[in-house]
Amino acid sequence: MKALLVHVLQLTGGMQPIPFADRGHGYDMFGFDPRVLAIAARLGSLLYERYFRVRSSGIEHVPRRGAAILAANHGGTLPLDAALIVLDVLRRTDPPRAARPIGDVFIPLLPWVGALFTRIGMVGGARNNFRHLLENGELPLVFPEGVPGIRKGFRRRYRLEAWRVGHVELAIRHRAPIVPAAVIGAEEAWPMIARIDAFHWFGAPYLPIPLSPLPLPVRCHIHYGEPIALHEQFAPSDADDPEALSAGAERVKDAVAALIEQGRRERRGLFR
Amino acid sequence: MSGVLVTGATTPLGCRLVQALLQNPELGTVLAVGAETEPPASLDSRSPRLVYERVDLTRPREIHQLLFGPAKKLCLTHLIHTALHRSATDAGPRVHALNVESTRALLDAAERHPSLRHFVFRSHGDVYRIDPRHAVLLDEQDPLDLSAQAPQRVRDRVEADVSVCTRMGLSALSITVLRCSEILAPEMGSQLYDYLASRVCLRPLGFDPMLNLLSLEDAVRALVLALKVEADGIFNVPGADTLPLRKAIALAGRTGLALPGPLLAPLYAVRASALGMEFRYDMNHRRFHFSAILDGRRAREILKYVPEHRLDWLAQPSSKRTCSTADWSLPPRA
Repeated sequence: MKALLVHVLQLTGGMQPIPFADRGHGYDMFGFDPRVLAIAARLGSLLYERYFRVRSSGIEHVPRRGAAILAANHGGTLPLDAALIVLDVLRRTDPPRAARPIGDVFIPLLPWVGALFTRIGMVGGARNNFRHLLENGELPLVFPEGVPGIRKGFRRRYRLEAWRVGHVELAIRHRAPIVPAAVIGAEEAWPMIARIDAFHWFGAPYLPIPLSPLPLPVRCHIHYGEPIALHEQFAPSDADDPEALSAGAERVKDAVAALIEQGRRERRGLFR
Repeated sequence: MSGVLVTGATTPLGCRLVQALLQNPELGTVLAVGAETEPPASLDSRSPRLVYERVDLTRPREIHQLLFGPAKKLCLTHLIHTALHRSATDAGPRVHALNVESTRALLDAAERHPSLRHFVFRSHGDVYRIDPRHAVLLDEQDPLDLSAQAPQRVRDRVEADVSVCTRMGLSALSITVLRCSEILAPEMGSQLYDYLASRVCLRPLGFDPMLNLLSLEDAVRALVLALKVEADGIFNVPGADTLPLRKAIALAGRTGLALPGPLLAPLYAVRASALGMEFRYDMNHRRFHFSAILDGRRAREILKYVPEHRLDWLAQPSSKRTCSTADWSLPPRA
């Protein structure tokens, strides 16, 4: 046991400290523990480097500090895309920046999973949580398609579902840029062939039935687009204007769709 | 600012509050109200500015006599109501009378009082409904726990809170409600304190929620700031310690044992009946699964309250009934 602990501690060695809003006991308000993220990043590096062989472009568009929102497409049986973006941002920013995935409200209901995701930075998808992250100059990662994004199935891969507007409202209100991002590969890595909609244990929306027991070693590509400064286009009072929000959300969705299109065009094959 | 009436003055919070008020030279008389015949030794009863009154707050006539007797003579301008029944195991009409009816009676009498102009009510973070579908960060607009299944302690606290809040804007008084995080201290009715009194603390398997805890110093500071600012409204008062349940158990020097959630309620029920513990798992079930932290933004902006005093997790146990104890002393082992 001691040897295992030493090994795990060694995994975090050499990594730069991850800045975070420490509430005094090594955790932030939501329970994020950068030590756990550092360990997860080390353990996940095999997946990132060897299994999914992630390539990314445009990381310079992710602000090094200050509040910003990452908005990406969503797909696959489980949210591998979130894990890959978190790892990518952490590895490619200096000092390392922790993207904070905004998870669905059922995730905290899941034993172990909820606790683990919280420790590596996930935050429940509620307005106050999101607001707090932006006020603290953090980098929330949102999937504006929500659960329908991962529920859509393999046939509808890379077709963006209805784009929610909550992140646009908060971006305008808190004067934060939105960085569009596209993940190519995650939607094919673990295709869902069926789902059991009647399964609602621990509040889960459904039970996915994947094609394979493990994800396929598809090469994943992450593309970040230029930040969209909606706060320069809209006044803070526009955060209550439904038309402004729809227009803003459409702009972000178009940017993500363009990145998906570009990414799919540029890749040489699923596994290459 | 002139004179202040403080209810619950013999509790650790009340004692410290009275001491803090007496240290303020700008303030006039402090009328400390407690259920005990004599003030505790730790209250500086030699101070000419302190007047102690024994009042049974469950009796409306005594409340009336207090406000229109000594409080009127002393021309008090502020009332801080902190008295609430602290035991989680007691229930019934007398407890309700202290928790809810006394609050109503005090507020009602204060509105007709010739000199009182500010009513401060110390409420609790327990009034909020903990729901994983809501934010971890609870602001003042978040839903209250109005479920019929809630134990009387919670229902009383919600009812008292709502009773005060509904008078805001309708009353000639300035009304401030402070919803405080749990004060981890002995004799404060802290469920977590009683929980940590056990050598082995059982917790739900697979969950490790974040807790926020308030020190007595910060609670006193918040009350004093509320008195100073005289702002109408509801304010969350978080503490400086935000940590997971497992870490709290470790810092208290206890052994945490994770068990499947459904086993905990019967185990703690047996334990309570065998050992007479105050801790009730059914009362804490949700917060032992899901994080809930009070958002102190309003208090920060309006009252200028920022939590400063962390709990002293290493303080030695103390069983003395005094308000001059350390921030937090380890609960005696059950």
